[in-house]
Amino acid sequence: MTTAVSSPPTRRILALWLPHLATDRLHRQMLGRSWRSPASRAKTSPASSAVSGSRPGGEGEERFATANETSQWLVSSDESLSVSDGGNTSSQVASTSPLAVIAKVKNALRLVAVDEHAEKLGLAGGMSLADARAMIPALAVADDDPDADATLLHAIADWAERYTPLVGLDDHGLLLDITGCAHLFGGEEALLADLHTRLLAQGFLVHAGVAGTPGAAWAAARYAGGTIVPPGNNAVVLAPLPLAALRLDPDIVSAMQRVGLKRIGQVIDAPRAPLASRFGSDLIRRLDQALGADEEAIDPRRSPPSFIAERRFAEPIAREEDIAATLSSLAATLSASLERHGEGARRLEYALFRVDGAVMRIVVGTTRPIRAPKLILALFREKFAALGDEIDAGFGFDMARLSVTVSAAVDAAQGDLSGEINATDSIDALIDRIGARLGEESVAAIVSRATHIPERAEGLATAAAATGRSTAPMQPADTPRPLRLFAHPEPVVATAEVPDGPPVQFRWRRAIYHVARAEGPERIAAEWWNTTGPTRDYFRVEDEAGRRFWLYRDGLFSETGTPQWYVHGVFA
Amino acid sequence: MSKVVPFATALTTAGREKRATESRDPPPFAEMAVTTNYSFLRGASHPEELVLQAVALGLAAIAVTDRNTVAGVVRGWTQHNLLKEQNPDLKLKYVAGCRLAFRDGTPDVLAWPTNRAAWGRLCRLLTAGNRRAPKGECHLDRADLLEWGSDIILGVMPGAAFDEATLATTLRELTTAFPANVRLMANCIHAGNDRRHLIRLARLARVAGAPLMATNDVHYHHPDRRPLQDVVTCVREKKTLASAGFRLAANAERHLKPPQEIARLFADYPKAIAETVRVMERIEFDLAELRYYYPEESTGGFGSPDEALAHYAFEGAKFRYPDGIPDKVRTKLTEELAVIAGRQYAPYFLTVHDIVRFARDEQRQILCQGRGSAANSVVCYCLGITEVDPAHSNLLFERFISPSRNEPPDIDVDFEHERREEVMQYIYNKYSRERAGIAATVITYRTRSAIRDVGKVFGLSEDTVGALASTTWGWSSDGVRDEDVTRAGLNPAERTLHQVLTLCRELIGFPRHLSQHVGGFVMTNDRLDETVPVMNAAMEDRTHIEWDKDDLDALGMMKVDVLALGMLSCIRRAFAFIAEKYGERLTLATIPKEDPAVYRMLGRADSVGVFQVESRAQMSMLPRLKPEKFYDLVIEVAIVRPGPIQGGMVHPYLRRREGSEKVDYPSPSPKHGDKDELEKILKRTLGVPLFQEQAMQIAMDAAKFSAAEADGLRRAMATFRRNGTIGNYRELMIGRMTERGYTPEFAERCFKQIEGFGDYGFPESHAASFALLVYASAWIKTHYPDVFCAALLNAQPMGFYAPAQIVRDAERHGITVLPSDVNHSDWDCTLESLAPDRPPGRPHPLHTSMASDIRTGCAVRLGLRQIKGMREDDVEMIVERRRGGYDSLRDLWLRTNLPRAALERLADGDAFRSVGLDRRDALWAARGEDSARMRDRLPLFDLPAYADIRKEPDFALPPMLIGEHIVHDYRYLSLSLKGHPVSFLRADLARRHIVPAFALRDLPNDARVSVSGLVITRQRPGTAKGVIFMTLEDETDIANIIVWPKAYETYRPVVLGSRLVAITGKVQSAKGVIHVVADRIEDLSPMLATLSADASDLSALARADEVARTPGEDSRVRNLTRHPRNVRFFEPDNAEAAHAVMPKGRNFH
Repeated sequence: MTTAVSSPPTRRILALWLPHLATDRLHRQMLGRSWRSPASRAKTSPASSAVSGSRPGGEGEERFATANETSQWLVSSDESLSVSDGGNTSSQVASTSPLAVIAKVKNALRLVAVDEHAEKLGLAGGMSLADARAMIPALAVADDDPDADATLLHAIADWAERYTPLVGLDDHGLLLDITGCAHLFGGEEALLADLHTRLLAQGFLVHAGVAGTPGAAWAAARYAGGTIVPPGNNAVVLAPLPLAALRLDPDIVSAMQRVGLKRIGQVIDAPRAPLASRFGSDLIRRLDQALGADEEAIDPRRSPPSFIAERRFAEPIAREEDIAATLSSLAATLSASLERHGEGARRLEYALFRVDGAVMRIVVGTTRPIRAPKLILALFREKFAALGDEIDAGFGFDMARLSVTVSAAVDAAQGDLSGEINATDSIDALIDRIGARLGEESVAAIVSRATHIPERAEGLATAAAATGRSTAPMQPADTPRPLRLFAHPEPVVATAEVPDGPPVQFRWRRAIYHVARAEGPERIAAEWWNTTGPTRDYFRVEDEAGRRFWLYRDGLFSETGTPQWYVHGVFA
Repeated sequence: MSKVVPFATALTTAGREKRATESRDPPPFAEMAVTTNYSFLRGASHPEELVLQAVALGLAAIAVTDRNTVAGVVRGWTQHNLLKEQNPDLKLKYVAGCRLAFRDGTPDVLAWPTNRAAWGRLCRLLTAGNRRAPKGECHLDRADLLEWGSDIILGVMPGAAFDEATLATTLRELTTAFPANVRLMANCIHAGNDRRHLIRLARLARVAGAPLMATNDVHYHHPDRRPLQDVVTCVREKKTLASAGFRLAANAERHLKPPQEIARLFADYPKAIAETVRVMERIEFDLAELRYYYPEESTGGFGSPDEALAHYAFEGAKFRYPDGIPDKVRTKLTEELAVIAGRQYAPYFLTVHDIVRFARDEQRQILCQGRGSAANSVVCYCLGITEVDPAHSNLLFERFISPSRNEPPDIDVDFEHERREEVMQYIYNKYSRERAGIAATVITYRTRSAIRDVGKVFGLSEDTVGALASTTWGWSSDGVRDEDVTRAGLNPAERTLHQVLTLCRELIGFPRHLSQHVGGFVMTNDRLDETVPVMNAAMEDRTHIEWDKDDLDALGMMKVDVLALGMLSCIRRAFAFIAEKYGERLTLATIPKEDPAVYRMLGRADSVGVFQVESRAQMSMLPRLKPEKFYDLVIEVAIVRPGPIQGGMVHPYLRRREGSEKVDYPSPSPKHGDKDELEKILKRTLGVPLFQEQAMQIAMDAAKFSAAEADGLRRAMATFRRNGTIGNYRELMIGRMTERGYTPEFAERCFKQIEGFGDYGFPESHAASFALLVYASAWIKTHYPDVFCAALLNAQPMGFYAPAQIVRDAERHGITVLPSDVNHSDWDCTLESLAPDRPPGRPHPLHTSMASDIRTGCAVRLGLRQIKGMREDDVEMIVERRRGGYDSLRDLWLRTNLPRAALERLADGDAFRSVGLDRRDALWAARGEDSARMRDRLPLFDLPAYADIRKEPDFALPPMLIGEHIVHDYRYLSLSLKGHPVSFLRADLARRHIVPAFALRDLPNDARVSVSGLVITRQRPGTAKGVIFMTLEDETDIANIIVWPKAYETYRPVVLGSRLVAITGKVQSAKGVIHVVADRIEDLSPMLATLSADASDLSALARADEVARTPGEDSRVRNLTRHPRNVRFFEPDNAEAAHAVMPKGRNFH
């Protein structure tokens, strides 16, 4: 597209719409990012890395996408497509089945998004899941996750900054102000082609429209099949489109349809007063915005982090030392402003903007608010070490930003004059360090669980999750547990009275113990939904020498006939 | 309380001496604390199961003690009675009690009333707790117990970890108030410290002077129910099994235990066991004592109720038979009165008589009619309760009240559904709320609810649960079949899922909560709440009792079912129209009898809207059965029911009726007696048993069931679903019949039919009552189709068909139907006399044969009620202020001051035609009337002279084309008088070689054909093995489609989802019933979008295409815009609108 040579550059807006954002996200998760491209699904092709030849070597995929765990671009591994929690039933969902995303709306499960496959079969958002299931029993569904969608959209917005710095978020899409930018990519058509190709390779179907106003571009993306509206042609293109293309409240659209006003063309030149009095001034505003008679600014994406330090480089940096040095100075800046606000960082993000537009993000979390630059640096150093070679500087980074994404108040005790750290501090710091190096899930703590089964009554939880959580309810009163519980109950040979008398004597580890006193049984049956197993009768016994044991008979006589005895713990 | 537990305070020495367990005879034991599943979501066994188990274990007694309710006591009692009948030596005693749970920290107290008065106090106590709490809860304090507790033996129940101080205080207070009546319950909870636990309790008991009493605090009858008990606990606590933790019991010990085991557990406390028997022996109260005293006010002026009843009955007889009471009737009347007097039922009949008399009162004239077995009674007929003339039928009074059965009569009366409330209020006013109450309905788990709850407990995702639930249609109670699970994409053999499904099957039938019965009234002569606790209903100001109709039956408490029936409302409205427009005054009793025109019409299956016989199955049956007299209608009503269908009785009956099969009567071999024994029973149905009582009579005469056996069978039939005990009678019946020389096949069929009746019992008397309404509604439809149409529309929603079909059917009978209009319509549909120069329309060729039967001279004017979202009081305002009529929308607005939303509704309903506005112009005008502007308006500007001050620039709205009007008609009126949507698609359809439905009549059997139409109904009857019946409607006729399961699986989305379909398949035509058996089904719904397309849409499409052709555009995107299938891409709003507006089709089961 040859944009005019007139002095003030004509405003050009690109609207992006991802109609299947939610399902694309899930498909990528299941099938990989390249699920939309048949070539790369076959795992052979070096996908054409067309325009920005930023990749030195490699298999030709965009760097931002292959990326590393820290990139927000990737969906985290724990959000898997949950079709069912009922055991292994979920594994039956074929990757080819139509997919829908569901949520509870007004007490009924409804589809909120569908993929193209489902759409072709007649499903649409708003339908109740029951109806949809009745029609398509093979429908695969996943729970709606608006946060994940939003995160993904943000990531795409990040990425879209390669085309223009002015990117705004929009409902299931983006608005890009590409005024004066298109020529860098060989014109608007080439830019669109590039964008389509790249996003498709990433597994996203997009519709994009370019026009002189956000309103017209929005309409072009969603209702005109993705077109480029030449400057001055807004009205021509908009006229045949339905009124909904004006971004109006659905009630207004419906009211207008009922009087026969269905297309934008019917209201473009119509007298305004009768329209405004019947359908509200919003209609007029939206119309003017789309046509360009009313200015509409793109609301640029605001980055919410409360504490940011950033630095731009005239000469891109690439060496690891430089990256670390930058971090160190940014940390110092950040620490000062954190201190001023009495806050500390719980989660930090170090973002490196590569010359070619890719963004590397490294995130670290802490168990306790921190602000000391040294600590910050140490955490990131662990991370760098873990990432190793994976930080690919390419032609270098031209900007670095350190931001605090989660912060919390710090009590004054921290960082006292002596510079020493107290005991819990050091444990927390240790947890942070190990967690940063090996992953948070690698550090576990012991927690108690509410279950009757003694050996299941304690378990491991990640240290981060365990701290601060009050311990689970203990065993109901009056049923004491041994001081030491064996990891594996040890079989003993015991004689006892049928049906549920305590052992009279037993042989354990080749020694014979004569029971002097006993109490029981405490009868504990298996958790039938987890396991099958006999009912246990536990006895507290004391032998003639005063040793106290916790024994159980594995099974009632009525259940098993000749039950085996075990010693499961000792009291002292 | 947490205190240090000393290790082994109660040490036992190993090798103790032999215990009492091993002695031969354990001491007798009575389990006095039993929680059944009527302690909702706490107990895990039915009361019946517990009683059976108690007998099997040889317990001395069982007391059902549910938590703050006595809802389950009658079930257990009934089971106990049944067992006692079978075995008079039964040594188990049954005790009705309750477990009181308090909100003030008092430990639970078991309550066993010792006598009738004490039972009354317990009911008062529970009523007090129920009434002050929200529905489903009971708020009790210790003070309540102190107030009402005398003569009730109280067992204080310590929890697993009890607080000694509280327990001691409670015991002290109770023993002070009720010395000698307080016990402390002791149980072995298998928590490891049982001995210490018992020692502490024994000490407390000794100090308080309340004897210790043994129990196992039973929650289920068998240890196998532990999983289910865990599940219901989770449901109650809203937890999953994984997260429920210590809320679940550690073991499966809370089951009924045999005396041996109890003796072993309480070996050190033999007195605690003996105490259970001592307490049990002190209970003199039995539920049978709740002898029923019926209200006596209706005796009014007569010496005794019997005298009163005889008087009214003979008065009525004179009215019924103005030409003299036939001897047959007089004899029967005398006989019946004698039986009624003998059983002292007269007050009951008088009460029902009084209610019916109230309804029929001159001012009220509420239509009502008795149904069910009451129609067997001449007394009921003479009292005006029922309408089936005993002079013309063979109904047996014994079916109603049997001298051999100790069961009260059960009279069900239907009232107009719109006016039943008046009757209910009358009852409350007359008997007061202390003496009248509504019965409860026990809401039980069905497949869907069970799957939902159990699935949730196992932590299945909502979606999996939904998928499982959706495999069942409607309210099935059969559980989910494995095939269905597989079809839902899940593996039934997978462990968790298997457990879920198994537990679901167990849970099905469990009571979930109590609700209010639709209309069963119980009235007493003294306080109702001293017989049964009363509780709050969900509806404000409504209360109901804790027992349902089966309980009341079992106790012999009489009740009247005050039911609502839409068809009665319709008939009453029709009578009013006929009186007003045609001057004929009719009642149900005076409609001309046996009118051949009526039977001619029904014989052609022209029965849209007619009571009971309008369903697909009935419509297919009518032309084959060709009813000619009233009794044929009785058969028609009864034959299309699960009983006869499952028993395979339908086809033999039809063949015999057509004369293609000989009418014969199976008979026993000569040595076994009367060879005509079956002919007597089956003559009226040509040797084929069709009615419930025929099957019963066969059991008695051919299988020689004793009265008691027959009674058991009848009960098993009634509770088939719940107990599944009917199988016990199978061997007995078939065995006895074959023994007596009947063929096993015949015996088998008779039994099958009894099973079928279990699902939906339809005795002859009931069919006869319904047949009367069939006849009445058919008579109105035959002669006054205008009246029928208007009355039916005004009584909506009811019946099988939507207003669109009712209107279409009227039009086909030559009726003019006029649109809703602000100047002509009321809220209801009305009749407008036709101008003399406008003759009534001619019926459709299908119905010309009845042209001379139609007496109509009016057109039907649709009411404004037909407009969706219209409020009745807004319409009343319009009608009230209409005077000479409105001349503009503004005029109407100024005079009525209606909100803009109401004006828009009227405009959407196209109700401004009479002021010269179509819906589009009206809507434009309505939206222009801004209420905000109105507030600032100066009165001056209201004068017509200033009207043009408000002049606006002209605005050219595109005219609305007819197709779009029709779409909007459907959306806002759910019908259109302007044309049938399909007619606009006819050219397109013809191109696809789709024939009009009417043309099916001319096609030979087995011809392949394609038809198309809007989906009106889909039906999947339980008796048809997965076959779906679809009804389509195009502009010419209705087409009946059969979809076999295989085709259904292939085309499932289309069958269920589409609104306009094309069906290709073979024609099957027999006896005037035409079906198309589908082998290909195509969704044509998108074609509906073209209906609302107008000129602007079409040009817009063309232009959009041009724009889309910008150079260099991604070819994929361009294809999207070009492909006609993607019209939706351009027209998301329109396409959706047209598609969504058309009826979805009603689904029936």
